[in-house]
Parts: sequence; structure tokens; C-alpha cells
Amino acid sequence: MPVADVIVVGAGLSGLTAALAATGSGARVLVLAKGHAATHWGTGGLDIAAVPGAATPRAGLKKLGGKKGHPYAILADDVAPALAWLRSLLAAEGLIYEGDLDSPLTLVPTSIGGTRLAAILPAAQAAALRPWAPGERLVVCGIAGFKDFWPDAVAASLSRPEMWGGSRGPDAVVAVTVELPDLAGRHNLSAVELARRLDDRAWRTRALDRIAAVLESRGAAAVAGAGAAAAGTGRVALPAILGMDDHAAVLEEFRRRLPLEPFELPLVPPSVPGLRLYHALRAALIRAGGRIQIGEMIATVERDGTSVTAVATEAAARTNATRTGALVLATGGIAGGGIVADHDGRLEETVLGLPVEAPEFADWLSADAFDPAGHPLESVGVRTDANLRPVDRSGKPVFENVRVVGATLAGQRYLRERCRDGVAIASGWRAGRALAAGVTASHNGAAPRGREEARSVRP
Amino acid sequence: MSDSHACDVLVVGGGATGAGVLRDLARRGLRALLVDRGDFGTGTTGRYHGLLHSGGRYAVKDSIAARECIVENRVLRRIAPASIEDTGGYFVATPDDPDDYVEGFPAACAAADIPCEEIPVAAALRREPALNPKIRRVFRLPDGSVEPWNLIDANLADAKAHGSDAWSYHRVVAFERAGERIVSATVTDERSGTTTTISPRFVVSTGGAWAGQIAAMAGVKLTMLPGKGVMLIYNQRMTDTVVNRCHKSSDGDIMVPVHTVAILGTTDVRVPDPDVYDITREEVSALIAEGEKLFPDLGKMRLLRAYAGVRPLYQPPAEAQATQNRSVSRAHTVIDHSEHDGVDNYVTIVGGKLTTFRLMAEHTVNAVCAKLGVTEPCTTADAILPGQVPGKTYWLGHRLAEHEAEGGGDAALICECEFVTRPMLSEFLDDNWPCSVDDMRRGTRLGMGPCQGGFCTFRAAGLVAERVAAASSAGSGAAPKAPDDAIVGYLRERFKGTRPIAAGRQLQELWMVLGIYGGLGVESLIGASPVEAPREAVNASR
Repeated sequence: MPVADVIVVGAGLSGLTAALAATGSGARVLVLAKGHAATHWGTGGLDIAAVPGAATPRAGLKKLGGKKGHPYAILADDVAPALAWLRSLLAAEGLIYEGDLDSPLTLVPTSIGGTRLAAILPAAQAAALRPWAPGERLVVCGIAGFKDFWPDAVAASLSRPEMWGGSRGPDAVVAVTVELPDLAGRHNLSAVELARRLDDRAWRTRALDRIAAVLESRGAAAVAGAGAAAAGTGRVALPAILGMDDHAAVLEEFRRRLPLEPFELPLVPPSVPGLRLYHALRAALIRAGGRIQIGEMIATVERDGTSVTAVATEAAARTNATRTGALVLATGGIAGGGIVADHDGRLEETVLGLPVEAPEFADWLSADAFDPAGHPLESVGVRTDANLRPVDRSGKPVFENVRVVGATLAGQRYLRERCRDGVAIASGWRAGRALAAGVTASHNGAAPRGREEARSVRP
Repeated sequence: MSDSHACDVLVVGGGATGAGVLRDLARRGLRALLVDRGDFGTGTTGRYHGLLHSGGRYAVKDSIAARECIVENRVLRRIAPASIEDTGGYFVATPDDPDDYVEGFPAACAAADIPCEEIPVAAALRREPALNPKIRRVFRLPDGSVEPWNLIDANLADAKAHGSDAWSYHRVVAFERAGERIVSATVTDERSGTTTTISPRFVVSTGGAWAGQIAAMAGVKLTMLPGKGVMLIYNQRMTDTVVNRCHKSSDGDIMVPVHTVAILGTTDVRVPDPDVYDITREEVSALIAEGEKLFPDLGKMRLLRAYAGVRPLYQPPAEAQATQNRSVSRAHTVIDHSEHDGVDNYVTIVGGKLTTFRLMAEHTVNAVCAKLGVTEPCTTADAILPGQVPGKTYWLGHRLAEHEAEGGGDAALICECEFVTRPMLSEFLDDNWPCSVDDMRRGTRLGMGPCQGGFCTFRAAGLVAERVAAASSAGSGAAPKAPDDAIVGYLRERFKGTRPIAAGRQLQELWMVLGIYGGLGVESLIGASPVEAPREAVNASR
């Protein structure tokens, strides 16, 4: 039977962060996931905390850390070092983020014509964080035949001052649409296809010729419309399609060639910025010697007392078992399928059958989809101790060598608190490092530090 | 500013019955006007089960209703085939169904002239393998499914071709009486706020469960007993045949395949107000548990949403004591308000069911014509509705087939779940502008599939925004809804139906949609432009 020191179930931000942290500390790591995770439908930005009355992520972190039962009550101090470490790894893969925990939470426009609070964004989105100067205009640039971005709707909505929450927004918002080369008659283009086309340097040059021409005529004219004083000041919002594998070069060329400063608006899934984040994490993991297998359904988990000893998966009609010293549960809560509800209000943690903490069945969902107070069920999850080990109702760990990370952790309201990425990164970092520390100790022949680190893997 | 408008007959309530009444009046030479407070088919018609009755469900208990059903079943197949899917129906005896009912069933069908053929259980299981293998007997009857919205459209088109008119989003706010006559009605355009005074010779209420509220405006007391029926929509057709339990009609005993989905129903609970009711988790669980007697794996299948309709049941004043709604007659009644209520030019049609809407209209219009001295005969059972190919019933694969027949070009697929393309929506917008995304749903089935609008809503809003932009640059903007209302309003509406069934895959889907739109700042759109939900949208629709 193949052997791993740490098996991570789930390939989203929390799982891959845990895997990277463990690999970096010398453990043999295997990531198993049934499919892709929330990275693929997220914005690609890193939401740490955005709560009322907090002007920065750090202030939000402090507020949430003071909430009893919130994951940040355990993890608040880990966010800064975990974030710094992860950003350096991502930067090494060419994915740069701007902003930090002390950056002001700023309203940035979105691809459905709304605004949202953000502080830490990928470089391609970061131009939206800069305050809008008097007279500065926004051009919203759509692509003909691309049905996931509607510049007229976005521009009409962003034109309204109330969308900018009392701070200054663009002086005016105008929509333009560009026809890109070779795509005439195509009506079902996807963001991924467009991003991959832009990776191609020759096609990119031709596409940029057209975008630049439209912006210089209609867009720049609109920008200059406010009067000569405003000419040349403005930004252009494009759908998030600026390259996939060669993103850095694409972004550099867009900045150089366009008359207005470009930035990306993240789209509905599949999210190209999210895919870039996933690809960078995956590449870093493989570079560090970790393994990752997608398309694996967990079939059985073998256990010895309060330790997990092996994980068997089903893929392509065969079962593969891997012995392991530890398990990280990064299954994404309800959205990821890590927790499943039935019609009578029973909740199941799908890998280990761990106890699930949840509000009363009758209170799960608010009457309004967009109730400002959110839905009570958002807080559903697995309760852990300070070491992220799952616990039962009495607070006693049910497994010694299991760690729970990310959206499966109880007590967060990530839709409302915008804390999902911060919780994922901090919990993944802590879990990965702690498990690897035990492994490394045991590799070195040192005495295990306690039962939780006594690995059941026999040589 | 108030406009005025005269007509022979004002019809209040734009469900199937109202549309049928309008058509019948128009074909008899009367100039009629139909008004509805919302879009047509947003009341009980738009929330009904989708069943074209063979009459089998009534054969044992109510042979009059059963006969009416089979007669109208044949009529509708002839005059409106495009709205009907010829699924056929099974009445199956499960181990829970009493023998005496099952044994008497074929004779009761024969007595009502309903074709009823017993087929081997094995044959039924071959055709519908999801059925409970323990069923004991199976009868095949000519049930089917009906698409209510295009049935209404066809009736309205015929009425308009015969000189009548129909106004959606026009709410009657007052009737003016002069002695024993209604002399005018004040209607408000719910979108623009303008009012119109309509002076009809005669008023017909086709308000169904809302008929009591309409009557009150005319100073008439009419007691309706709105009966709530809850239905559950599955994201797949686990059956291509309508499947009924062969027993005395009860809750959760019928599954109807409708377009891409299948609908389990129903319940029957009296509610005080046809606009305000809840669907509880307990009702959902109870329906699933009953449904499992027909389809044992139902508990594991994915539910898309729950909705409820209110039956327009009516209790004549003398016996208004019944508490059990299923015992109240499903047959319809034309109430002539001159007899007891002292209003000469006003009738109300209550009761009935969608399958018999045309017959209800005929009886209603007979009463109106008798009053007005019109002697033209009813022709609605013989004249085929517009937009039909005689004998050609609906086929699920038609959209793809038509698309391929037109060369299979790359039309933008706006709603992948239901195969709704941009050209289809553009045509709908051309015909119905200004309209909401929810209107587009009824017209095209946009957003009615598994993602419940998660991926098509903002695209539809984008199409609306393009129209607005084009209209404003042309200087002729007709006050359409802002696109943000389209996104928020539509996702809210879809959420209402998901909420009572949120579990399993559909809860996961809901979490994903909330996560996606939360990430895209949907809450900023709400704050920017608060919209009061129209009253009829309080409860989930189909």
C-alpha cells in the first residue's frame, strides 16, 4: 500500500494551503479531491474580513477574532504570517497580489454592475482599488459574442452614485463592445477560451489592436467628453480574461498598449482569476514534491482507535488505498459537498461522519435570499479544538491525527463576513505545519510528542 | 391623469379561465377586455400541477367531473395540441391501496366513457423502471401534461384576432355601481401608475381564488375557500408517463412529467388568504414519504423547488361549514349576482380545474350572452387555436430539433438548462417589451432548470439593459425595470421556491449561487434600488 505522511481531502484554497505548508516542512503529502473547488467560482481576490465598522481587513479580523466560536477566535494571529508566506509562494509562480491587511477596504466594481468591498486583489484587478479622481471616467469594455459580460448593464448600474457608498466613484461610466479577431459568428465564447487565446502572442497583438482602436475612438472620446481637462484620465474595466498561463505577460502588454489603465472584473464561473490561483497553488505544491489527484471519491477511511490510518478512494472503477499518518479535512462545507443535509434536517460530514454543529432546522434559511443578516445555516460546520482537531459535543477530540480547515469549520458566516479566504489560509497553514512537525520529528527518530502525533503508519 | 375605455364585457382575472372567457366572448362578436393585476397566468394557472386530466382521478367519486374531464381532454388535444404533451397516464395499485377501490376502478371509468386499459405490471415497469416494483396492477388512461402559459397566449391571440384585448399588470382598484348595475371599473397600470376608467356593459370575474376580493369591490359577498396545494419539482423526469395512485385522491399521489422536470403533488389545505401562505419542511417531508410509495428512490432524487397553488374552491352560502377541502366539489359554478346579490350585470365563475377551463368559459359566456341577448353559438370547442399544427402535440426535444433544422448555428445559449437562446429571447422582448426577467421565464422557461437562474439571470438582465440603452439612445425609453432589479428580484423569487426544499444537491447549488453573487457584490444592487415586491410574488411560483 502506498504511504503518505499527510493526506489532504479537498483541493481548494484551504486544502492546497495545508498541503503546501506540510510539504514545505518535509512531509510526504497527497491531495485527494473529487473535483475542483471554490477557487474556480470565486473572484480570485483574497477576502480576509469585511465587517461593518472595520476599515481594514486587520480591523475586521480583530472583530471576528473576538466573536466566541468563530474560527478567527483560534486563528486570528496566524493570518498575517500565513498570508505573507502564501503570497511569496504565489509570487514565485508569477501570481502577484496587491494590498495587505492594513489596506483600506474599498468598493470595487463587479461584473454584474455592483460593487463590493475588497483590499487584497490580484494585480490585474488592483487598479480598481485606487480612489477615483475628480473627472476620472470608467469605460466598461465588453467582447462581442461573450455572453457572460454585459457592458450596457454594468455601465448603467455603475453610473448611479449610490453604487459607490458615499465615496467618489467614476465621473461617468460608458459601455463599449469590441469584436475580437477570428471570432465573428461565435456567440458562446467562454472566459477560459478567451483567456487561452490571449496567451497566444500573435493573436493577442491583433486583439489589442482592435481594443485599443475602440478605446481611442469611442471610449477615449467618452472619457474626454467631460472637457479637455479630463482627457486621458480614466480606466477601462475588462472581463477577467487577460491570459491564463501567460497572464503576467498579457497584463503587461494590455497596460502598455491601451490608452486607459486596464483592470479585470471577475466573472461568474468558470473564474479565470480563480483558475490562475488554483494553477499557481498546484504548481507550487508539485514543485515542492507534493502529489495531487483530482477525480477521487473517498470510499472508506480506515481507523485505529482515534487515529485515521488509511484512505481508500474510488476512481475509474477501481479502489486505491493509501496509508497515512494524518488527515486534513478541507472539504468546503456545504458548498464543497463536505457537509450534506437531508430533508428532515439531518446533517452529515461526508468523509468521517464527524459531529456537525448547526442552528435549529427551522431557522436554517432566512425568508429573503439576500437578508442583510445572512442565513443562520452559514455557520454550520465541524467544531474543533485550538489545534483544529474535530471535537464532540463535550469538546473532546474524536480523532487525534485529523485536522479540519477552511469552510468546513463551524462558526463562520463567510457570505456575510467575507472571511472565507483568510480562514482557509490561516487554518490550512496551521494544520499543515502542525502535522508536518510531527512527521519530521518521527522521521528524525525523535520520540513522538504525544498520542496525537503517534503515527499509525508502520514501516 | 385618467383615460377612459368602453367595452361590452370586462373580464377580471387573466388565468386560463379568463383567457378562455375572453376568447369565447370575442368569437361571439362581443368586444371584451381582460385585465390582470400581474402577468397573465401568475395566479393559480401558473402554479398548477401541469396535469391534463383523463378524468380517472374523479371516476369513482364524481362521475360528472370525470365525464367533463375526458370530453375536454379530447377537445384540448384537438384545439391546442402544441400545449399538450401526450404522456399517457398510469393508475397504479400499490400495496397500500385498497382492493375494493382498485376493483371498481375500470367500471367507474367505463361509466364515465374514459378509456381504461389494464396492462401487465411488467410492461409498466419496463416503460417506467423507477416505479415501485411492488405495484400490483396498472391501468393506462389518456392523461397528459399541459403547458399553461402558451395555452393562455393562444387563447389571447385568438381573442385579439376577433377584436378583443387583454391588459396585463392592470389591477382593478374599484367598481362604481349605479343601483343594480356596475357602471365602471377603475384600473391602475401597476408599472406606470396611470389609471383608466373602463365602462363595460357587463363584468365577468374569472378571479378564481381571488374572486371574493373582486366581488367585495362590487359590494358583493362571495366566500371562497382557497385550498393550497403544495407541489415539488424534481430536476429530472423519473417518469415519462403521468403516474397516479389508484385510490381515493389524496396527498402526494401523482407525478406529472412537465418539460424537463417532473412534479409531485399535491396537498390540500385551506388558507385564509390566497396570497399569503407558507410551505413548510413538514409538508415537503410528508409529500416525499407518500411519493416514495410510487417511486421508492424519490428520497434520493434531487428536488429543484417547491411551490403551491390555491384552488378556487367555493362554498355556496348554505353549506359554508366544511373544513375538509377535498370534500368540496371540484366542479365549477357560474354565479349570477343578479339572483342573490342584486347586481344585474355581473357573473363570477368559481371552482373547476385547468383541464375544463374551456368548458367553464363556455358556461360563463352562455350566461353573459343570455343576459345581453346575444344568440351566437359557442365555437371554442371546434376552432383550432392559433399557432397549432393539427394533431402535433408538444415534444420535449423540439427546441434542439428546431435549432438543428435551422442549421444548428451558434446561437448564444442564454439559459443552458432549458435551451433558451438569445434569438428566442430577442423575439420575446420584441413582442412583450417592456417586461421583466420573470415575464421572460413564463414566456421561454428561462431559469426553470437545475441552477434556478444562477447562470442565466444576469445574462437576461444584460439583454434587458441593451434594450434600455438602445431605447434611451433613440430617445424612446418606455420606463423598463432597471437591470439590477432584474438580477436581485429574479434570484429572490427563485430562492422562495428553493427554501422549503433546500437539502442535498440543491442546498449545495444554492450555497454556490449565493457565494458567486455574494462575491460579485449583489447586496450593493439591493441597497441601490429597493423595490417593493409585487403582492402576487409573495409566494414561490413554478
